[in-house]
Amino acid sequence: MRLLLPALALACALPALPQELPAAASSVPSGEAGISGFVDLGYRWVGTGGSFNTYRSVVDLGSGPKLLGTEFTISDPKHRLFDSVTVRAYNWGDDPYATLHVDVRRHKLYDFSADYRNIAYYSNLPSFADPRLSGGVTLNEQSLDTRQRMGSYQLTLLPESWLVPYLVYDRNSSTGNGVATFVSNDDEFPVGSIVTNSTNNYRGGARIEQRRFHVTLEQGGTTFRDDQQLGMAAGSGTNYGNSFSAVLGQKLDLTSLSQAYRVRGDSIYTKALLTANIASWFDLYGQFLFSQPRSTVNYQQFDSGNQILLSQLIFYTGEQSIASAVSKLPHTTGSLGAELRPFRQLRLLPSWFTDRMHTSSSDVNAQTLTGTSLASGPATINSLLSNKLVNNYNQAELSAMLEVMPKVTLRAGYRYVWGNASDVILPVAELAAVETGTVRRNVALAGIAYRPLTKVSLNADFEDGVSTGSYFRTSLYNYQKGRVRGRYQVTPSLSLAASVSVLNNNNPNAGLHYDYLSHQETASFLFAPAGGKRWDFQGSYTRSTLRSEISYLDPAYERPGISFYRDNSHVATGYFDANLPVQKTRIVKLSLGGSLYMSSGSNPTHFYQPLARLSMPVNKTLAWVSEWRYYGFEENFYGYQAFRTQMVTTGMRLTK
Amino acid sequence: MNRLLAFAILIPLTAGTAALAQSGGAQPAKTKKAAAPAAAPVAYVGSEVCGTCHEDVAKDFARNPHHDVETGDKHGGPNWTGKACESCHGPGGKHVESLSAADIRNPLKLTAAQVTSTCLTCHLNRPTQVGRIESAHAHNSVACTSCHSVHAHGPNGLVARKPAEVNALCAGCHTDVMARFQLPFKHKVTENAMTCVDCHNPHGGVKPGQMQMASANEPGCMKCHGDKRGPFTFEHAAVREEGCNGCHEPHGSSNAKMLVRQEVRLVCLECHANLPQPQPNATARVTGVVPPAFHDLTSARYRNCTVCHQKIHGSHVDRNLLR
Repeated sequence: MRLLLPALALACALPALPQELPAAASSVPSGEAGISGFVDLGYRWVGTGGSFNTYRSVVDLGSGPKLLGTEFTISDPKHRLFDSVTVRAYNWGDDPYATLHVDVRRHKLYDFSADYRNIAYYSNLPSFADPRLSGGVTLNEQSLDTRQRMGSYQLTLLPESWLVPYLVYDRNSSTGNGVATFVSNDDEFPVGSIVTNSTNNYRGGARIEQRRFHVTLEQGGTTFRDDQQLGMAAGSGTNYGNSFSAVLGQKLDLTSLSQAYRVRGDSIYTKALLTANIASWFDLYGQFLFSQPRSTVNYQQFDSGNQILLSQLIFYTGEQSIASAVSKLPHTTGSLGAELRPFRQLRLLPSWFTDRMHTSSSDVNAQTLTGTSLASGPATINSLLSNKLVNNYNQAELSAMLEVMPKVTLRAGYRYVWGNASDVILPVAELAAVETGTVRRNVALAGIAYRPLTKVSLNADFEDGVSTGSYFRTSLYNYQKGRVRGRYQVTPSLSLAASVSVLNNNNPNAGLHYDYLSHQETASFLFAPAGGKRWDFQGSYTRSTLRSEISYLDPAYERPGISFYRDNSHVATGYFDANLPVQKTRIVKLSLGGSLYMSSGSNPTHFYQPLARLSMPVNKTLAWVSEWRYYGFEENFYGYQAFRTQMVTTGMRLTK
Repeated sequence: MNRLLAFAILIPLTAGTAALAQSGGAQPAKTKKAAAPAAAPVAYVGSEVCGTCHEDVAKDFARNPHHDVETGDKHGGPNWTGKACESCHGPGGKHVESLSAADIRNPLKLTAAQVTSTCLTCHLNRPTQVGRIESAHAHNSVACTSCHSVHAHGPNGLVARKPAEVNALCAGCHTDVMARFQLPFKHKVTENAMTCVDCHNPHGGVKPGQMQMASANEPGCMKCHGDKRGPFTFEHAAVREEGCNGCHEPHGSSNAKMLVRQEVRLVCLECHANLPQPQPNATARVTGVVPPAFHDLTSARYRNCTVCHQKIHGSHVDRNLLR
C-alpha cells in the first residue's frame, strides 16, 4: 500500500511528454513518450478451515486491500537523464511476498537496476517440533514469524563499451520472533526469541571486453550482524520444560532467562574471470575466487531455576555464562577450462576445478553456577576450545562432443573427483573430536542430442560413478544418473514434451547398505489453435518415485535399524485460457485450472490448488479482474494439520 | 597459420559468418573472397531489402538491442553495418532472387553448436561464457536461441525479464522440476517471488546444477539466508562439505522445512550412525558418529533432534550445536 500512493501520484502527475520522432537508427525505444503500463488494485477475502497455523506455514496470503501488481514504463524521447524507467511491483499490502523491480537506463551511458523483495517466513507446524504433542501441549518449539528483506542495487556504467565499470550493493536482513529452546543440562525449555540479522554486501569491478579476450575484476566486502535474544522475564511463572521425569528426586525448572548472542562478521573477497580466444579453434575460460569471511561473537546468559549439572551431579539455582569466540574461513576457488575444435565435427572440453576452504576458530567460555549444593559455594567452569575444519575438493573432466551426423551429436567424457576433509575440535572430549574423510570418484559421462526434424528433438545424458571414498553415508557413491528429454511439435497448434530422469545410488560398505533409487517421468502438452488467439490448453503430469533404505544405529542401545523412506507422488497441472470477444474491441479473458499433488509412502500428503480467473473490460482503460482460489492440504499421519482455504480476490485494472 | 587458413575455409562452409569472424575476416568483402573457391560468390543485399518482405520482423528488430549491429553502433566484433540480418542468416542474394526458404540460412534447421557458434561470433568473450562448457545446457546442446529471442522488440526483448516469464521459460523444458514447486513446502517460485535464475546460472557454472554463487565463492543460498553463512565457531561439517541439499529439497518437499525425510531424527541418524572407532578399510570411512546413549528414541522428547540441537547449521558458542 505504501507504494500505491506514490505510484498513482506519479501516474497522475507526469504529463504525457510530447511525442517526437525516434532518434535515427537507435535501438532505444523512443517513439512513445510518457508513461504506459497498468495498475491492479483489489481486495482479497480469505476463509480458512482447519489448522490456521499450517495454512500460514504453507500459503500465508491474507485478507485486505492489495496492490496486486503494477508495471509501467516511463520514456523520455529526448533522452535527457534516462531513456526509459521500467517499474514492476507485485503483491503489496501485507502479502507474504512483495516485490519491486526498477530499471533505469540511458543508452550506452548507464544501466541501473534495483530489486527489492520482502518475504514472510512463517513456520509453525505442531508435528514438526513439539515433543509434547502427545501430552496435549501445542506449543511449537521451532516456530518462526519473520520477514526477510532482500535488496540488490546495481549501477553499470558505459554498457556496451570495451570497459564497463559497475557498482553493486546488496542487503538482506531478517527480523521477527519465534519460539526456541533454552537447553540446559538435562532439560530443554521453550522460550520466546527475537531474531535480527543483516548482511550488507558492497562490490565493484570492471569488465574489459576485447575481441580476443575478456577480463572481469571485482573486489567486494560484506558486513554481517546477528543479534538473537531468548528471554523469560523473572516472575513470569515457572517453565518445567520438556522433561516429565524428576532427576534424583527433584523436578527441574526454569524461572528466568536472559540469553543474548551478539555476532559481528565481515569479509573481503576477490573475483577474477577470464575468457580468451587463443586461436580460432581454441577458447580458454578461467576464474579465480577468494573470500575470507570472519566473525566475532559475544554471548551472555543468565538463568535461574532448579537445574542440575549432570556430569558432576551438582544442583544449582542460578547460572551465568559468558563466551567469546572468533573464527575465520579463507576460501579459494579456481577453475580453468578450454574448448578445442581440432575438426569441424569434434569439440574437446577439458576442465579443472578446485575449491579449498579452511575454517579455524576458538571459543572461550566461563560458566558460574550459584546456589549450588556444594559446601564450597559457587562453582566455576571454564573452557577453551578450538575448531578446525578443512575441506578440499577437486575435479578434472574431459568431454568430447562429436557431430557424427548433422542431426546427431554424441558426447562422451570422464570426470575424476577427489578431495579430503577433516573436522577437529581440541581438546578432545565427548563425541569423536577428530573426523576425517576422503572423496575419490571416477565418473563416466555420455550423452546424445538427436534432432531428426526441426519439430522433433531428443536429448539424453548419462553418468556412471564409482567411488572409493565419500564424506557421508548418504553421499553419492556408486551411482548411475540418467535423463532423457524429448519434444515434438505435432502441428503448429499442438506440441508435446516428455522427460524421464533416474538416479540410482548405492553404498555397499559394511554398516551402511545404502540403497537409493528415484525416478521421475513427466509428460506435458500445449494446444493452442491459431496461436492461442481464442483459447489454449496446457497441462502436465509428473509421476515420481523415491525409495531409500539405509541402516543406522539406535543411539540408546547401538542396535541396528533401517531407515526406510518411500515417496510415490503424482503432480498434475492444467490451465485453460480463453479470450472471448464480447464486442469488437473488448475481450473477456477467462482462465481455469490449477494443480494437484498426491503422494503415498512415508508422508502421504494431498495438496490441491485450483483457480479461476476472469478479466472483463469495462472500457478502453479499465477492466474488472477477479480470481478464485482454493487450497486444500491434508497429511494422513497428521490430520490435525489439515486446512482448506477459499480465497476470492476482486479488483480493477487501470491501463494506460 | 596453415591450420588457421584451413579453418578459415572449412568453417564458413558450415557455420558461415560465425567462422568468418573467428578467422579474423570480419568484412563481408573478405568473406566473398574466402568462400569463392567452394561456391558461387556470395551476395549481400542489406537489411533494407530483407525488410521489404519481412516487414514485421524488421519493425520489431528496429527496437531491439541487436539493432546496434545494423547501425554499427556497438563495440567489438565484426562490422556488419547495414547488414545485420545477414550477419546471422548469411548472404541473402540468392534467397532474394529465388524467394526460396532453402536459399537462406534458417537457424531453426541448424544444429545447436552451429547456432551457438553464430552467436559467439560477437558474444564470445563475455563474463557469461565462464563456466559455459561445464554447463548442462552446453552438454545437452541447448542453443542460445532456446532462451533468447533474437528478433524481439524492446530493450529487454532478447530474454524474459519478468519473474513469471523467466519461470515459464525454464519450465518449458524443466517440467519435472517445476512440478516439484507444486508441493506444499518449497521456495516461492510459482508465486513469482523468486525465479529459477536467482539460484541457477543458465549460462553455466562450475558448481553442480549450475548453482549461482554469492560473495565470490559462497553458495548462492547465502544470498538470502545470510544467517547460515558463518563462519561458525563450531561448524556442522555436512553444511560445508555436502551443501544445503544434503538435508533439504530446495525445489519442494512434502516434508516440513523442505527436509529430505519426514522425521528430523531420520535426517540426522542416516548420517550419525558410525561407531567412533577406526575402521579397517580407511577408504570406506565416513563421518557422523552415533549420539550418546541417553538419546532414547522411544521417548517423544528425543525424536526431533533440532529441538535441542537448534543451531544445526553451525553454532557460535556450543560444540554440540545446542545454543
